[in-house]
Amino acid sequence: MIDKMPKSWNRKTKPHLFCPGCGHGITLKQLGYALDELKIQKRTTFGIDIGCSLLAWNFLNCDTIQTHHGRTTPVMVGFKMAKPSRVAIAYMGDGGGYAIGLQSLLHAAFRNDPITAILVNNENYAMTGGQMAPTTELGIKTSTTPNGKTLNFGNGFLGPELVKQISQKQSFVARVSVSQPEIVKLTLAKALQNQIQNNSFSFVEVLSICPTNWKTDAKDSFLRLESMQKYYKLGEIKDESN
Amino acid sequence: MNKNILQNLSGSQASVLGALAGGAEIMFGYPITPATEILQGWVEKCQKDASLSYLQTEDETSAGFGVIGAILAGKKAFTASAGPGNVLLQDPISMAENLRLPFVGIMMQRGGPSTGTVNYSQQEVTLTAFGGNGNGLRIVYSASNIAEMHDLTSKAFSTAWKYRFPTFVLGDGYLGKMSTKVNISDSVRSVTSTLLLKEQSEPTYLRNCYSSEESFADMLKDHISDWNRDKDKISESESYKCKHVSELVIAHGIVAEAAKEAINSMGSRKIGLFRPITLNPFPTLQLKKVLQDNKIKKIFIIESALAQLSRITKYELFDKDIQIIEIDKPALGFTPEDIKVEIGKI
Amino acid sequence: MSQINLLICGEGGQGIQTIAKAILDTANLSDNFISYIPSFGVEQRGTPSIAFLIISDKPVLYPKFNSADICVILQQRAIDSVVKYINPNTTVLFDSSTVLHTKIPKIAAKKLGLPATKYAREKFSPRSYNVIIYGAISKMTALNSDQAEETIISVLSGKLKDKKLEESYRQAFKFGYEAVLETGKYSFALYQTKTEINIIRDQNKTAEIDPNLCKGCGICILKCPVKALQFGEESGVFALPVPTIDIAKCIACGNCRRFCPDGAIGVDKK
Repeated sequence: MIDKMPKSWNRKTKPHLFCPGCGHGITLKQLGYALDELKIQKRTTFGIDIGCSLLAWNFLNCDTIQTHHGRTTPVMVGFKMAKPSRVAIAYMGDGGGYAIGLQSLLHAAFRNDPITAILVNNENYAMTGGQMAPTTELGIKTSTTPNGKTLNFGNGFLGPELVKQISQKQSFVARVSVSQPEIVKLTLAKALQNQIQNNSFSFVEVLSICPTNWKTDAKDSFLRLESMQKYYKLGEIKDESN
Repeated sequence: MNKNILQNLSGSQASVLGALAGGAEIMFGYPITPATEILQGWVEKCQKDASLSYLQTEDETSAGFGVIGAILAGKKAFTASAGPGNVLLQDPISMAENLRLPFVGIMMQRGGPSTGTVNYSQQEVTLTAFGGNGNGLRIVYSASNIAEMHDLTSKAFSTAWKYRFPTFVLGDGYLGKMSTKVNISDSVRSVTSTLLLKEQSEPTYLRNCYSSEESFADMLKDHISDWNRDKDKISESESYKCKHVSELVIAHGIVAEAAKEAINSMGSRKIGLFRPITLNPFPTLQLKKVLQDNKIKKIFIIESALAQLSRITKYELFDKDIQIIEIDKPALGFTPEDIKVEIGKI
Repeated sequence: MSQINLLICGEGGQGIQTIAKAILDTANLSDNFISYIPSFGVEQRGTPSIAFLIISDKPVLYPKFNSADICVILQQRAIDSVVKYINPNTTVLFDSSTVLHTKIPKIAAKKLGLPATKYAREKFSPRSYNVIIYGAISKMTALNSDQAEETIISVLSGKLKDKKLEESYRQAFKFGYEAVLETGKYSFALYQTKTEINIIRDQNKTAEIDPNLCKGCGICILKCPVKALQFGEESGVFALPVPTIDIAKCIACGNCRRFCPDGAIGVDKK
């Protein structure tokens, strides 16, 4: 039997509940490989949010807690304070991280709480049927921007840039894309190492695809992702003040 | 090691000592009057004992979720809040209800709704017992004096971890700020806390979101069954001068203490006080016993709220042929003289 | 007719609610009263999607019922969710090309088969099987055939990108409406998901494709640099086609494994 999935994936709960072609599947696969390579599956606690991320509630071979919307970060902060030996991951979508949960994400960065926050950005609120997210770019049609998003709702939200501004020096903040899975894995591993070795905060935004709500096939999904990458810059976000 | 100490304490200070006595290890909180002193007092304790910790969070909601995170990691965690903070805490408390987490909170009631006043009321009974979008499976103790601020806070941890329902101690601004000499026990109640995310080779998966009505309803049924099984063990009350009486005062918290003084000064009138110590689960059997042992003609329900105590009390009394008089003063205190005058009118 | 309790079940993504909406719209054109409510969970795809419809000559006050007069089944995995609605008076209509007739609860009064997926793939459009079933339901519930046809085309309008596709859907509807339903000799449920993994080898590499995990998203096909993958005839998890591999072309670059969101495919150099 060839390995087709990471060891840290719970085989018993596959096929999983994400839609065909969902970027969560690609992200979680690379997260899974990162956990395998760092050999930290057994000491990782995985926190997930509301929205499509909640479909990962029994996805990994790790203790998992599904929280309320936007509350994964403060739960994992409290958890890590009580059990610093565990690797704490807060996994969320664009709503959980940049709307209802933004305050907690920023304060975790502000305090350098040693957790790793991972945010999957597919430019919409997918589980509820495709409403706009803070990350929806100008002109994009969603179910709550039927004529395309306009500036009075804000342009695409630059999360990692904002988070880096408020973080402390030792934080690790980056943006990656599911168009480059190997880089997703390497970056997630680096983020986790920043928690383990430097006892510091890390945050990775993953640009992702949503064929169901974008109403695109595989080809058009990746074309849209390419277009997102023109606006959302990839790579580690460095401290501007240096 | 039981050491009774007589010391001058405020209700807030007593509560901090109670948390320590109950085995608390970590507190998450956001400053809000009149609960701030509890956070402040706990922070001072942390300076002297490295095994204790705290986090002042960005708001009350985050504080509540921090408590949840620490509980999942097996630590005895708590928060303290009031009024609008209590409102914000309904989000995490609902999650704690769903997952049967031993969430402990000290709620210092103040005038509401909204920002209201910072000092006093008994208006957070419904909120603390039945808030959120659940079934009210929450244990609520109401402290009536400083010794109870200590003892009930301590007890809240053992109750919460034993029965796994979110557990609260209701105080209020007057109790928080008043100081008097009080005798409190220094013993630490031993509480077994366990890892809720178990770190076993078979992972623990905890979720609060279900796809099917049926499986969710089954889970709720189990919770309700546990509640019904345990509620009579959990509920507590005090009967004060309830022998050979024909009238009963029902009051809780600091109003009950004022009622005691009023009753003492009413000489020959055959009136006693039934004081629920747990508002939820309500001490139904104990109240029934008082009614059985006496021929009660009138009940005075006295509270600094609009019908919050009387709503849950009348639920217990609906089939009884007794005259019930509600004496409500939302957000205003009752001195013993006030109570004597109000009862004297009838 | 006084009241028909109609239950339609399948999986998210099969278009159950689409045909339910079309039935609702068509029945509303008549003098009858109709009520509709979907049953749904959080997932967008892959879990039971159920529609409750009540068609009556009196106003309908409550949208759900305890027992179905007609129960329509488009996905074998969804049967467990609707067993309790099937009783000795229920007529079951099912897609006999994907649902094994032996899995239908025996208590049902009648079991009517229609190999919708087979005909959709062979004669009309692969995703039009729900419209074929809709045609049969329209006949069974005495909806006006012309109205029913126009309604489904209207409900689907955003998806029917050209006239040719629209015409194939119209034909699919008519086919379903006029189909003679199987009452005993059922079609072979050949579009069942296979249970074994496909293993394809040559001298220096081995590929595995697991139809139990594949959702037919097509990403592996897109990301293969040598175009060694293309959709085949087999059905995967959501009854969508599973890719096949031309092992000779494959260079074992690892892209398919890298990109597959479901862990359904991989190639090793061996």
